[in-house]
Amino acid sequence: MSVKPSEPPSEKDVGEPPIDSSGLPEHASAEEMRESAARERREKLKMFLTNWQGVTGLILVILFFVTAIFAPVFATHDPNALDIPARLSYPTLDHIAGTDQLGRDTYSRILYGGRVALKVAAIGVSISLVVGLILGMIAGFGPRWLDNLLLLIFDTVRAFPTIVLALATVALTGPSLAIVLTIVIVTSIPQYARVARTATMTLRNTDFIMAERSLGASTGRILMHHIMPNVVGPLLILAAMDVPVVVTVEAGLSFIGLGVLPPTASWGTILNEGYLVIRDTPWMVVAGGIPLILTTLGFTFLGEALRDVFDPRMGKGR
Amino acid sequence: MMAKDMETAPETLLDIRNLSVDFRTARGRVKALRDITFPVRKGRIMGIVGESGSGKSTVLWSILGLLAGNAEVMGGEILFQDDDMLRKGPTAMRATRGEDISVVFQDPMTSQIPVLNYARQMFDILYRRRNMSKSEKRKAAVEMMRKVGIPDPDSRIDQYPHHFSGGMRQRAGIAMALLTGPKLLLADEPTTALDVTMEAQIINLLRELQSDLEATIVLVSHNLGLIAELCDDVVVMYAGEVVEVGTVHEIFHNAQHPYTRALLECDPARITDVSSKLPVIPGDIPDLTKPQMGCIFASRCQRRMPECRTIEPPTAMRPSGGYANCHLLEGPLRDPDWPPPLDVLTVRSGESAVAEKKAPDGTPLLEVENLNVRFRTLGPVKARLRGVADPFVDAVLDVSIKVRPGETVGLVGESGSGKTTLGRTILNLQHADGGSVKFEGQEISNMPEARFKPLRRDMAMMFQDPIGSLSPRKSVRALITEPLQVHGVKGVDLDREAERLADMVRLPKPFLTRYPHELSGGQARRVGVARALALNPKLIIADEPTAGLDVSVQGEVLNLMADLQAEHGLGYLIITHNLPVVRHISDRIAIMYLGRIVEEGRASEIFSKPLHPYTQALVEGVPQPDPDKRLTHVAVKGEVPSLLNRPKGCDFATRCPYAQDKCRAEKPAHELRPDGRSHACFFPLH
Repeated sequence: MSVKPSEPPSEKDVGEPPIDSSGLPEHASAEEMRESAARERREKLKMFLTNWQGVTGLILVILFFVTAIFAPVFATHDPNALDIPARLSYPTLDHIAGTDQLGRDTYSRILYGGRVALKVAAIGVSISLVVGLILGMIAGFGPRWLDNLLLLIFDTVRAFPTIVLALATVALTGPSLAIVLTIVIVTSIPQYARVARTATMTLRNTDFIMAERSLGASTGRILMHHIMPNVVGPLLILAAMDVPVVVTVEAGLSFIGLGVLPPTASWGTILNEGYLVIRDTPWMVVAGGIPLILTTLGFTFLGEALRDVFDPRMGKGR
Repeated sequence: MMAKDMETAPETLLDIRNLSVDFRTARGRVKALRDITFPVRKGRIMGIVGESGSGKSTVLWSILGLLAGNAEVMGGEILFQDDDMLRKGPTAMRATRGEDISVVFQDPMTSQIPVLNYARQMFDILYRRRNMSKSEKRKAAVEMMRKVGIPDPDSRIDQYPHHFSGGMRQRAGIAMALLTGPKLLLADEPTTALDVTMEAQIINLLRELQSDLEATIVLVSHNLGLIAELCDDVVVMYAGEVVEVGTVHEIFHNAQHPYTRALLECDPARITDVSSKLPVIPGDIPDLTKPQMGCIFASRCQRRMPECRTIEPPTAMRPSGGYANCHLLEGPLRDPDWPPPLDVLTVRSGESAVAEKKAPDGTPLLEVENLNVRFRTLGPVKARLRGVADPFVDAVLDVSIKVRPGETVGLVGESGSGKTTLGRTILNLQHADGGSVKFEGQEISNMPEARFKPLRRDMAMMFQDPIGSLSPRKSVRALITEPLQVHGVKGVDLDREAERLADMVRLPKPFLTRYPHELSGGQARRVGVARALALNPKLIIADEPTAGLDVSVQGEVLNLMADLQAEHGLGYLIITHNLPVVRHISDRIAIMYLGRIVEEGRASEIFSKPLHPYTQALVEGVPQPDPDKRLTHVAVKGEVPSLLNRPKGCDFATRCPYAQDKCRAEKPAHELRPDGRSHACFFPLH
């Protein structure tokens, strides 16, 4: 005796009071469910917006992006235009952050320097995030020997001091923005990969991955559809925290002359040039340092606030 | 009301009055407890029984003031020796915890400190006893360990929790709770994490200790059998309210509230006639974030009247002091015929449109023969260095089992019996080390995944944890259509298919947009069934299909599985430790012990005439939800030995009450009887 497969045994067949036999509350309508999801989202947003660190961080990060992207709009001068008579000027109405020893407008140079920082941060962080994620998932999901090999490589890279690596590379190739980027990417891949690897390893023996395997899902599908969505969250938070590190690495390398080459403006080169004339105009170092500090604070605050919202276990509790 | 009556009764140790607790959550305020009132009398065991979400654990933690940070006590009092626990300061509270009131936890694995040995942990418990010397403390601790039945306590007290097996750990947990001589012992599901044979031992221990020490115990459990075995008084809770209070005999033999009746009727251990259909309580627990009107059980009650939804139910007292809140019992809506005699079902038993199950066909769908699975314990180099010749353990040893189309085979075993490994090996998720697995006559063991993949359409698996086996970032729609995508099924409209499958497992369509963490256990289980059925398989291997489900819901899931079997002629291999459940749904049952099948046969015969002593222990060890049928003795002592030191003779010989010299010397072979039953015992019981 069989019923057509497409026709579920309907409630009418059972001569009992019309109670929802599905075992589900009668009030579970589609709108209500959407509403509850929306409420949860609003709740998260509220949590974020009531967190002063998060709001401060967000404002600073937006400021960083806007000033860097629209640098030509906000700039009052050409960042490389020389104005020798007005060299080493203190802040004036014309040069609101003073000028350097060649008379270039520091304010405009800071704006353009932000573009370099943004470029390095965006490209560096996103490439190392993607590569780190892929390598980490492979290490966590793949065979033991591959995991050991990848770990060995990660540890070797991490054991190498960034500055020494940079010195060695620049000695071979000469300074350039591309080299700065390469160094940033290579040195930050291991930390993303390690986080991704650990998360993957805790997932690989869970019931739901076993369930996917029993369905016949391929390894690629398991990694892309089931592991990655669960691993990428913590990595994004890590990325937000990593931006200031990358920005300081770029500034640091430029400061010691291994990064961006003059006359291109970078926060590092501004600091470097200001440092040379610190006895005459300490203002330049101050003006070059402020954006660096604000950016660092902004991204750190943002990262921590995001972590508190999305991973409440790590937070200070209620 | 009732508090007044019982107040006069002598020696109320703990008195909970009008307790209300809210939880602040992202979804709003959850009114987790509303107006809870019941007394706990001295020297008695009070059981709090209820399904998940009933608030039974919340009551327990409110007594100790250990509620989660988002909890808020809205009112009421908890009088312990005439002190209100809710108004005690932190210092006074700490002095009470552990000294006057102590707790036995559900999971001894997580409630004991893994880096301290038991001696240290027990000294810490006695830290307030400054006048006790260290040797006195140790003596007291050893004495308590002896009392709870830990052999050789003098040396074992210096061991760490990971040296102890599950049952021993729970005994140690009880010893720690009793060390300070508390006036009140709280036990939160003390046997849920244990196997049947261990559960029987712990029940016996608790009963002995209680009569020895005249302790007062509050026991929280969802397990009606455990409550009936141990308790003197019972409180039945539903959705944050007490619906009925009474002595254990009143509750189990003369339940007044429709919910209590329904709960009892749904318990598979209570149902004596074997049918593949189990009674269910339809519907789901109400949403406690919303204001409740009338009777809390009205939405699921089979006897509800229009007034039930609007008017608060009256309290009907019992002469003994117990009570139940229901319109059927008291007031203008009283029904003199309620409650009906015990043999009349008050809940709907899951009748279905499909009448009879097809008799299983001859040709087996799945044929496992002499299957072996071994796990390596040491690396090859280490094994050589330590001189271990055979660094393997046999997780599955010479297992043979058959499943025919339309047949349900129950594979029963305790934890560590290798039953889950067997299931995974059949599905080629685990390497087999010998023997054969045939699916429709084709050898499939250790087949390369590329060739095995098409077969996965015909064999599906349901996993133990209903929510944990669903990918957390996928919607229900994506989850139930995933099998189609994995196997590249062309020419189907995935949305239509999702709706068809949701219909099939009776999951309303709005749920398709939900995510696994937004589902209840029963709903998630339906999604699991839908996924398993998506490709019209022939065989389903279900690992503990009712684990994590409430009594009222597990019936629904099992009925659904039975319906689908009748419709599609599916073969089921059900892997479980839950004997009462498999009895109702299985045609044949195989009992597994230490990786070996010790007995196999028709379900009814296994229960009425067990051949192997282990089967007998399992069948008799299940606590019955009837206080008149308490376990009188513990049939099987000791614990499942580790696979690392498998006994030389019969695997069960170390624990078998009938063991003889022959059993300890050689392994009994599988013997097939003419009636189709097989067993591995030299001296079968029948």
